[in-house]
Amino acid sequence: MKNKFTDPIDLSILWNRLISLVDEAASTLQQTAFSSVTRESADFAIVLMDSKGQSMVQSSISVPSFLGVLPFLVKSLIKNYFPQEVLKPGDVLITNDPWLCAGHKPDIGIVTPIFHPNQTHIIGYIGCIAHSPDIGGTLWGAGARDFYEEGLYIPPLKLIESGKLNDTVIKIIEGNVRAPYQTLGDIMAQVAANNQGIQSLMQLVNEYGLEDLDGLSDQIIQATENAMRQAIRNAPDGVYKSRYEADGDAENHPVTIECTVTINGDSIHVDYTGSSPQHPLAINAVMNYVFAYTAYPIKCIFNPEIPNNEGAFRPVTVYAPEGCILNAKKPAPLGARNVIGNLLHAPVMLALSQAVPEKVQADCGAPVWVMPLSGTKDDGTEFVEYLFLAGGYGGRNGLPGPPTLCFPTNVANVPVEVFEHDAPVLVLEKKLIPGSGGSGKFPGGDGQRFSYKNISKRPLQISNVTEKIKTQAYGLFGGEHGRKGDIFVITKDGKRRYTPPKGIDYLQPDEILVMELPGGGGYGKAE
Amino acid sequence: MNPKLILGIDVGGTFTDLALLFAESGRLILGKTLTTYPDPTPGIFSGINDLLQKAGISISEPEGIIHGTTLVTNAVIERKGEKTGLITTKGFEDILEIGREIRYDIYDLFISMPQPLVPTSKRFGITERINAKGEVITAPDLDEIRKIITELETEGVRSVAVVLLHSYLNPSHEKQIGNFIRRNYPHLYCSLSCEIIPEIREYERSSATVMNAYVQPVADMYLNNLSENLKSSGFKGFFQVMNSSGRLITAEQASKKPIDLLESGPAGGCMAGVYFSKKLSIPDLLAFDMGGTTAKASLIRESEPQITYQFEAAREKRFKKGSGLPVRIPVIDLIEIGAGGGSVARVNELGLLTVGPDSASSQPGPACYGNGGIYPTVTDADLVLGYLNESYFLGGKMKLCKEKAAEAIESFIAKPLGISVEKAAWGIHRVVNENMANAARVHIIEKGLNPKHFKMIAFGGAGPVHAYHVARLLHAPGLIIPGAAGVLSAFGFLVSQPAIEFTYSKVQKIDCLDFNDLNETFEKFKKEGMAYLLGAGADEKYLHFKISCEMRYAGQGHEIHVPMPLPPYHNKTGDDIKMLFENQYQQKFGRIMQGHNIETVTWRVLISGNPFFQQTARVVVEDGGAVLKGYRMAYFKGQYINTPVYNRYALSANTILKGPCIIEEHESTVVVGCEGEVFVDEANILHIQFVKNDEPVNS
Repeated sequence: MKNKFTDPIDLSILWNRLISLVDEAASTLQQTAFSSVTRESADFAIVLMDSKGQSMVQSSISVPSFLGVLPFLVKSLIKNYFPQEVLKPGDVLITNDPWLCAGHKPDIGIVTPIFHPNQTHIIGYIGCIAHSPDIGGTLWGAGARDFYEEGLYIPPLKLIESGKLNDTVIKIIEGNVRAPYQTLGDIMAQVAANNQGIQSLMQLVNEYGLEDLDGLSDQIIQATENAMRQAIRNAPDGVYKSRYEADGDAENHPVTIECTVTINGDSIHVDYTGSSPQHPLAINAVMNYVFAYTAYPIKCIFNPEIPNNEGAFRPVTVYAPEGCILNAKKPAPLGARNVIGNLLHAPVMLALSQAVPEKVQADCGAPVWVMPLSGTKDDGTEFVEYLFLAGGYGGRNGLPGPPTLCFPTNVANVPVEVFEHDAPVLVLEKKLIPGSGGSGKFPGGDGQRFSYKNISKRPLQISNVTEKIKTQAYGLFGGEHGRKGDIFVITKDGKRRYTPPKGIDYLQPDEILVMELPGGGGYGKAE
Repeated sequence: MNPKLILGIDVGGTFTDLALLFAESGRLILGKTLTTYPDPTPGIFSGINDLLQKAGISISEPEGIIHGTTLVTNAVIERKGEKTGLITTKGFEDILEIGREIRYDIYDLFISMPQPLVPTSKRFGITERINAKGEVITAPDLDEIRKIITELETEGVRSVAVVLLHSYLNPSHEKQIGNFIRRNYPHLYCSLSCEIIPEIREYERSSATVMNAYVQPVADMYLNNLSENLKSSGFKGFFQVMNSSGRLITAEQASKKPIDLLESGPAGGCMAGVYFSKKLSIPDLLAFDMGGTTAKASLIRESEPQITYQFEAAREKRFKKGSGLPVRIPVIDLIEIGAGGGSVARVNELGLLTVGPDSASSQPGPACYGNGGIYPTVTDADLVLGYLNESYFLGGKMKLCKEKAAEAIESFIAKPLGISVEKAAWGIHRVVNENMANAARVHIIEKGLNPKHFKMIAFGGAGPVHAYHVARLLHAPGLIIPGAAGVLSAFGFLVSQPAIEFTYSKVQKIDCLDFNDLNETFEKFKKEGMAYLLGAGADEKYLHFKISCEMRYAGQGHEIHVPMPLPPYHNKTGDDIKMLFENQYQQKFGRIMQGHNIETVTWRVLISGNPFFQQTARVVVEDGGAVLKGYRMAYFKGQYINTPVYNRYALSANTILKGPCIIEEHESTVVVGCEGEVFVDEANILHIQFVKNDEPVNS
């Protein structure tokens, strides 16, 4: 039986209640997680899905990349791995398969089927993807030469079977990662988060005597889809093209994104045909991840207000030819796929600037630079630390771009005092670069200069993932481009030396790593 | 000190509330007057004069005045603080502007970030450095500071914030600079981060210190003037201020650290809840306060307010977490959502009914005020449902118009949704209740606690109207409605304790804690705190010490607040601390992590005196009306029922009333549904029990 809610007020109330329960789950995750990526940088998402794996609601705090991904993952799990009849109450599924999950191995998906209180049937799924602190392999970044160097692969498995933890899986993970208690601690925090969500859902199911979630889900998704389609219908039909140059390795292998956006009535199709082939560096992206980062800016442009669920994505389709950098195949290395995913909004917006000029923003001096470092402190303890650095934000119609602000991903920086406490470094500078944002009627935001010195007696391993060292954030409608970024090392004797913009390097004792983050583009011609 | 007569004054955005307490008899006289702008002083004095006249006493008689104010909050929100300069470690001048680089709203492309309180031209770096171990790498050069001050003075700066890296570990450089400024430039205000908020994380420390500097001249002048004016009008008693964590501080202390006043009003409400928790011997309560524009909820556990250090001021988007300026001071841990009597209801593009977060506020106000408001609000719905009395709003001071309310609901809600006006009104009532219950539930679950465990205590103008249903939605075991619902904050001031808090940030693994250092630090705090409290009139016999620590598993970034044993500490204390941490962690997260290192991050030492008043208070209102005022049609269980309406002031002790019923008082109306049973106690406090606790909540 499908529960239908004819009363618009019941529907309003139940919908809010569902959002509230995934938020409860999110707060459980954030407070029990170990990795700074999850807790401080909130690099996760929790989604409640119906029995078909369609997303109904997502946590208010979520990283955009994970949004479309969870329903995709659950649908594949149902179809190819764990059909409903093999799932039992108390089962919890795990995988980090990049093609099913979020495009690289550190992102671990935990999915818990939700049984009706009388245990007879599955009424839905709750899923949580979070960035694990470590998954083994080479240090997270663009440096791996293939998929197999990027650490442990966890195929879709039952992490917990009928309430019993699968010790074999735990032992394999434990033996393959750098900080096992952190990685396992985060996985268990994800399990706990799902449980919290289910617990609150059960209360609601009992209160309203729900047999399933599908009727409710259909209504929520349909209402959202209608609103999204209406918003798209208001934009002019047409075929809008853009070409976007990215750094690639910032040397011999640049990357080009060809983007064709077709608005046809109430739907949008994005086609990346003509984009660069798979890249030798680990910056290749997979289709579901590319879909998430393409649909995300489209939602922001057309209907930022409506709640996010399956319905917001239905009017959007995305295509990228197999074997291109946006639809990479095994064994392509994927580690730093974020630098590619995180700039897809730019070609999409550049194309859409022809259709809805007042609704797009100039390019951001992003993607966020992810700059992990690891090594051994003088007292012998090992450490891994992640630095996230944002460039300037793009100018908007009516508003300048703020300095140093993440887009489209959303991770907080690590405070200088915390960084110096956790790693043997001395930070010399964290400062805006005045004038690095492109000028314009609404100028782009400034980037920043960040430099630190290795103050230990041993070399530090660094993994650089930069972008816009060679290219620039575009300005729109006469606004200037943002200033390029730069990365280099100052040696002990004060000389400037090369360090790869993407890849692994060693920072010797007393050497200084200098990073200059790019500025955002300006919007409109300066008067 | 046991004053016999004390006066609480709460200056809010719209109203200035007053409460005069005769401590020996417990007699409480209340007053309410409009807040005056830009200077609230005339409003305060007119309120005092009215109240004194009512009580038949002179200004020389009260032995103390306790004050709470929105002045500091407003100065930050409206950017009306003083021109402020920032001196910081060279190379880090822009930390204040860079912030944490994260967006508070992931879908809004047109996001705006809060502007820093100090612009680039007034932020200066000096050559100095202390490392993460607290060791000096480069000492500051005082000549450089002199030059910077000259430049700041040319810019018209009157207040200076000093924030240097790692000063929470080693404050010597900040102190050196502070002493230099205070000695050589006595006309400048100077806030040092090591004095304001000695905690790790440079952006958060800068944000709080700069905010303190920014509001200090304004707050100092205001508090000085007020206290001078009170003195010259004949007031002879002590003058204290309510801080954000529900403690009383001297005006002098408040002038030094005015950011402590950011939440002084809301803290008063919670402290009133704490008082009732003690009086009624119900240690755990959910305090629920619903006013005209917002609703607030906070937990009281073991008759103590819950404190958080995650506060933010002046949010860019009012109810959006992360959109404000962080201020990690101790603040009563409350959630605030856009749900009040004035919250506007509408049908959104998805065809759903939404309520708030925006409010029709007092101008034009809800449609039923008849001041030109056309949109339906929560108050309009409550009126249509028969919960409110058209002719007894604010005790009859204000007439409401039911037709206008029904009209607004009809055209904006009922018609678009194709339902009847009463269904629509009931929908508004339900949706706003759901919003509040959802927010409260997330708040409680975040702490690892069970919402079903907490009885609710409700106040604020709209609180008692909605509390019944909110309590049912949370499956609360009961509901308590004290009197004086409309001015409870001012009363809360009178039942709070004078206190001072010290913090000490030191990241240490618990198996290698430096006990000598901790003991010495605690001893120093104790001495300083005692001197302060005795100076503020506290009784040495009743001084109370509390130590707590923010702790975590090494590697986690989120600390939990753990109560600690009293010093002196010795080698065995480490085991106790571990156990206390694990108990707390287990309770909050349902598990502990075997074999992980545990570390301390920030120690907090709280020293407090006794509250001035702990006996039973009773509001005295000469009303003279009958107990049963009559009957009116009110909406319960899907239909209008002829419902008895009682006069709260005439209810005698031990009365029992069965729901559905309505109980009216001046500042609010208590609505009790069909499954409620009301018991009136000696102090005219209403205790509502739910007869059936598992009834479907949507009826």
